[in-house]
Amino acid sequence: MTTAAHPEAPDAQPLVPLHCLLHAEPGPPRQAALPTGTPVWVLSRHADVRQALAHPGFGRATLHAPDAPPLTLTPNILDDPASMLNSDGPDHQQIRRTVQRAFTPRAIERWRPWVDGVVRELVDELAASGSPADVVAALTKPLPVRVISRLMELEGLDIDRLGHWSDHALSTTAYTADEIRTAIREFSEFGYQLVVARRENPGEDLVSSLVQAADQTGGVTEEQLTSLTIGLVIAGHETTMTSFGNALVYLLDPQHADAWRRVGEDLSAATAATEQILRTVPLGDRTSAPGLLRRAVADVEIGGVLIPEGAIIACDAGSANHDPAVYPTGPTDLFSPLGAPSLTFGAGPHHCLGAWLARMELELGLHHLARVLPDLRLAAPVEDIAWRTGLLTRSPLRLDVAW
Amino acid sequence: MSPDPVVVTVDQTRCIGSGLCARTAPDALALGPNGRAIPVHPTAAPSHTLTEAAEMCPVEAIAVHHATTGELLAPIW
Ligand code: HEM
Ligand code: HEM
Ligand code: SF4
Repeated sequence: MTTAAHPEAPDAQPLVPLHCLLHAEPGPPRQAALPTGTPVWVLSRHADVRQALAHPGFGRATLHAPDAPPLTLTPNILDDPASMLNSDGPDHQQIRRTVQRAFTPRAIERWRPWVDGVVRELVDELAASGSPADVVAALTKPLPVRVISRLMELEGLDIDRLGHWSDHALSTTAYTADEIRTAIREFSEFGYQLVVARRENPGEDLVSSLVQAADQTGGVTEEQLTSLTIGLVIAGHETTMTSFGNALVYLLDPQHADAWRRVGEDLSAATAATEQILRTVPLGDRTSAPGLLRRAVADVEIGGVLIPEGAIIACDAGSANHDPAVYPTGPTDLFSPLGAPSLTFGAGPHHCLGAWLARMELELGLHHLARVLPDLRLAAPVEDIAWRTGLLTRSPLRLDVAW
Repeated sequence: MSPDPVVVTVDQTRCIGSGLCARTAPDALALGPNGRAIPVHPTAAPSHTLTEAAEMCPVEAIAVHHATTGELLAPIW
């Protein structure tokens, strides 16, 4: 086990589950400030968020330009200027095209038997361990790292170390700046060695195919390739674990007992519920940023407001995902199709590369857990949940379940 | 003899505006003002870049069909 982010101080107010968080009503762009004091325009309507994320007038590279205002209080891996996420335009497309082929819906579909196998293994072990059990330690935390490790053929490598690095890489306040820098440095060294090893000795795995695609296309630097490789490990770790853990807090509420059974009986019900949960249960409290950040590289009009060149915007996907102009209001029907895609995975050039892999892990994870344990329930009240808070995320540090 | 023309369609609900297609096949696809891709012409000549664009789309919103037979030409594999 890795040491997760520190739990709440014992005297802190219990935090509400993520699905109970209030989201800002979608409305015109409004002004706010980041924790660093930097002013930011917050976009919250579905149409505005979509348009801004796809607009070439907004970029991520200039968020880290020398003249950029401070965005976060501690360093983190998302600030790495070599990363795909922090490049724009042709530079970004160059890297993205190298990896996109491996992540299209069909390409991911071919991995279904692997992912299914990993999920069944973890669920069967959990069930065999007996009630009660911590579903975070047994399932939601190991699943994404196991899946990406299998796709990258990292098995035999130290998975705990990977978990430790990615915890640090995405931490906001749980570790000191020095601890975070050290972890990021070690992690980068690991990624670099991996790239070198797979170039010399290519296999069928994801890293080998990335290296080959990059070398064939040309123009992708060694630094970018390294950043991409470790980026995939982390992305597979935190986001999916967070969504899965929070989905369980939501679904194991007694009022959703029927939905839970249905998810276990019918895989297509699990698929639909996954989409609705991804739309309605946010990943975190957005304390470090009110949304996905971009910086205007030109004057751009969005939602009736002129955003001047150099200004920072935050695209609040959480609010946009509840926009009554796009989605029905009232209680969520978990089994109805979404219609318009939710903005949980972003939009535009940086739309989540791993979206289809994440969906598959969640739908199979929920389905098999509910199939094997249809009477699963939380072993302790929701108010007693200890939370793990990361850079953008909050999810249960442990979640005791019984059956 | 020139190859048979193809019809390119973009599912406006699925498209998340990545712009990858417009960058890959600028003759055939462009990003519209609402952040969704649209075909530049109603029909186009088949090309490698067009096939690549359809295969690469992160949400498989693009379809390339034979203009007369309606056969799906891309994405397929
Ligand atoms: C439920 C799980 C996940 C969620 C909610 C999620 C969310 C996101 C979001 C919102 C972005 C866009 C950030 C922005 O535009 O500023 C993003 C980007 C990205 N995600 Fe995910 N993600 C998840 C899982 C994954 C997985 C499993 C992987 C990889 C295996 C992954 C890899 C990436 C990468 C590489 C990017 C950067 C793409 C680019 O810049 O072109 N994500 N993710
Ligand atoms: C190529 C690697 C990736 C990078 C650099 C990256 C970076 C980002 C960034 C910067 C955001 C939006 C943050 C903001 O400015 O508000 C985002 C969305 C997100 N990313 Fe990625 N991403 C990648 C893959 C990943 C990784 C590495 C993680 C780590 C778990 C990740 C987790 C998330 C989460 C949790 C969100 C959700 C944002 C929200 O809706 O609150 N994704 N990603
Ligand atoms: S590649 Fe697909 S998602 Fe991206 S703009 Fe083109 S059609 Fe839309």
